[in-house]
Amino acid sequence: MVQEREPVIQVKNLYKIYRVGRNKVRALNGVDLEIYRGEFCSIVGTSGSGKSTMLNMLAGLEKPTKGEVIISGEHLERMNENQLVRFRREHVGFIFQSFNLLGTMNAKENVALPLTFRGVPKKVRMDKADKMLDLVGLRKHKTHKPNEMSGGQQQRVGVARALVVDPEIIFADEPTGNLDSNTSAEVMELMKKIVREQNQTLVMVTHDNHLASFADRIFHIIDGKIVKIEDNRKNREVVEA
Amino acid sequence: MSVKDLLKMSLSSLWRRKLRTILTVLGVVIGTASIVVMISLGLGLNKVSMEQIEQYGGLTTINVYSNDGGYGYYGGGVAVSVDGSDSDSDSQEPVRIDDAAIEQFKHMEHVEVASPILSTWVLLRQGVWESSASIRGMSHEALEKMDIDIKEGSLPEEGGELQFFYGNTVITDFYNSKTGQNPYYENYDYEHPENNTTADVDFMNTPMFVIFDTDAYYNSQYGGTDENGAPVPAPKKYMVPGCGLMAGSPEEWGENSNSILCDVEALKAQLKKVFKGKAIPGQPTNKSGKPYKEIYYNQAYIRVDDMDYVTDVQDQIRALGFQAESNVEWMNQVQEQSRSIQMALGGIGAVSFFVAAIGIANTMMMSIYERTKEIGVMKVLGCDMGAIRNMFLAEAGFIGLIGGAVGLLLSYGISSIINFVTKATYESGISYIPFYLVLLAMIFAVFMGMLAGLFPALRAMRLSALAAIRNE
Ligand SMILES: Nc1ncnc2c1ncn2[C@@H]1O[C@H](COP(=O)(O)OP(=O)(O)O)[C@@H](O)[C@H]1O
Ligand SMILES: [Mg+2]
Repeated sequence: MVQEREPVIQVKNLYKIYRVGRNKVRALNGVDLEIYRGEFCSIVGTSGSGKSTMLNMLAGLEKPTKGEVIISGEHLERMNENQLVRFRREHVGFIFQSFNLLGTMNAKENVALPLTFRGVPKKVRMDKADKMLDLVGLRKHKTHKPNEMSGGQQQRVGVARALVVDPEIIFADEPTGNLDSNTSAEVMELMKKIVREQNQTLVMVTHDNHLASFADRIFHIIDGKIVKIEDNRKNREVVEA
Repeated sequence: MSVKDLLKMSLSSLWRRKLRTILTVLGVVIGTASIVVMISLGLGLNKVSMEQIEQYGGLTTINVYSNDGGYGYYGGGVAVSVDGSDSDSDSQEPVRIDDAAIEQFKHMEHVEVASPILSTWVLLRQGVWESSASIRGMSHEALEKMDIDIKEGSLPEEGGELQFFYGNTVITDFYNSKTGQNPYYENYDYEHPENNTTADVDFMNTPMFVIFDTDAYYNSQYGGTDENGAPVPAPKKYMVPGCGLMAGSPEEWGENSNSILCDVEALKAQLKKVFKGKAIPGQPTNKSGKPYKEIYYNQAYIRVDDMDYVTDVQDQIRALGFQAESNVEWMNQVQEQSRSIQMALGGIGAVSFFVAAIGIANTMMMSIYERTKEIGVMKVLGCDMGAIRNMFLAEAGFIGLIGGAVGLLLSYGISSIINFVTKATYESGISYIPFYLVLLAMIFAVFMGMLAGLFPALRAMRLSALAAIRNE
């Protein structure tokens, strides 16, 4: 059941070439893809295959060398840094591999932080953060500082922080990379559940085929090219050249 | 991001690194205090000088003196009556102050008051108390316009009999003629001037005996003889009523505090009566040693409506051949001097503030290195670049603000210590911190803090979010 809707993410002929000394590294070598609203997609590939570069490009953290990135109808490659920040604030949630919580703030304050950047009044953002932490199952750790929580708990805070702004798209770069396999599975289930419930789009990068299989669609990337797209929902494989 | 949240985040990150913040603030405290104290010294010196000038007759007064030849200026269009017999073209014609000259001064532009000053030394006597004093005759108009504070009685009447108006320190010149002692200086108490005693003289209700011909008096006292060898008879004593007293204690010195003022016309009439047929002491004589018919004035008092025109009027008067002095030249000199002192002192302070500013920049730089990751995360989460810059600017501004405020408190402390130590020399204080200096110092400290924080803040703003979060 491929949606007939407008894709929320459209990538056309995307290149990213790094210069390292005299050599050119083609981190992305002509990528085309479309992701639809409400989908959970994973990008999987070996280390150095260009997954992070891909994700950073989609989140507007890095400029492409060539090609187009269109999200919600807006061309990211044409934006300046200020516009990109505003774009992220309005459309994007981000989950980091190393959680990246602010050590001086407790769980609730960390979750409320993106709302602060949106100018949400303190009471409202604290209420929202509170609900979000309930949702990720951290009822008892709301006032804990990051260093008073386990990795899994910290990443739950990270998930809550990404979701609290109710973003259209959530990007996650190896969100379970620092977690053991049991905790990883838990966090994956959590993300999947919430994204499903709220009908959000999630794009996740991982090098682990097993974790990738949690997604609706799986993009296989090798040497900066998408070589295969798996659709879990139809159990059908589409191979691209 | 609301301003409140922004300031809160800035404050909390300062609070997070208390010790470092305190040390940086300390630099600003010292910098602010040294600038403020240094400038306060310059201002205080200036204030002391200006008060002194005020005591010596303010800034709109011009004193005009006659020019009795010898040095000075050639009179141009002189309207002063001069001895016509003097035809020697080599010697300068003396330029003296008479009524015509006063009229001329009066008609100059911006001249508010022009009064003759006729002064003469007399001997005052009441009971055993005696004083050798100079009395000063001025026009009634001038006396009224000199803003004299009256404690008792009134200014001398115009045109009537001679009356004296006593300045508040005149009493300190009376001595006991029997013992030769002056009770005021004899027992002067520096610590408690209010305990000083003065001669028991009543200016208002008991008549004052005045001896105008002091030469004759001393000659008769000490057995002198005239040209013919006959003993000099004691001169006549005149009784002169007091009409008023100037306000102020014997310790308060002011423009006319040590003068005995009277109406110039009354004084002229009195002198003519006393020295009938003789030369009045202090008056000029012609070649053959005979006095002129007219009485010439020693000085003229001129007040100008605005201190900007003082030099102008002064030049006009000089062009007439008179000597004219005012405090404007003095003041200009004083102000120039205090400006350069302020510059030098302020410069010393500025150096320490400069060091403090470097301290702020350094602290902010370190803070940004430590928080690279945090800044990157905030940028990824959608924090405006401007907000990040402002956050760091606010941090630097807070350091300036706190440092400035504490620095000002310290300045007040140092200032009062300086004033306490120098109390003996500078009564009203040599260190002076006016309110505008407080305001300026605060603005300066905050502004300099932010200026020092600007480069680090811009750096934080431009930090690559990606580079910050990549090193995982
Ligand atoms: N800033 C950079 N400068 C140079 N080369 C880079 C840079 N970022 C990534 N690369 C290179 O691009 C390729 C893809 O990197 P990346 O997207 O991080 O891979 P991964 O799939 O492991 O996330 C790698 O070969 C990497 O060395
Ligand atoms: Mg990667």
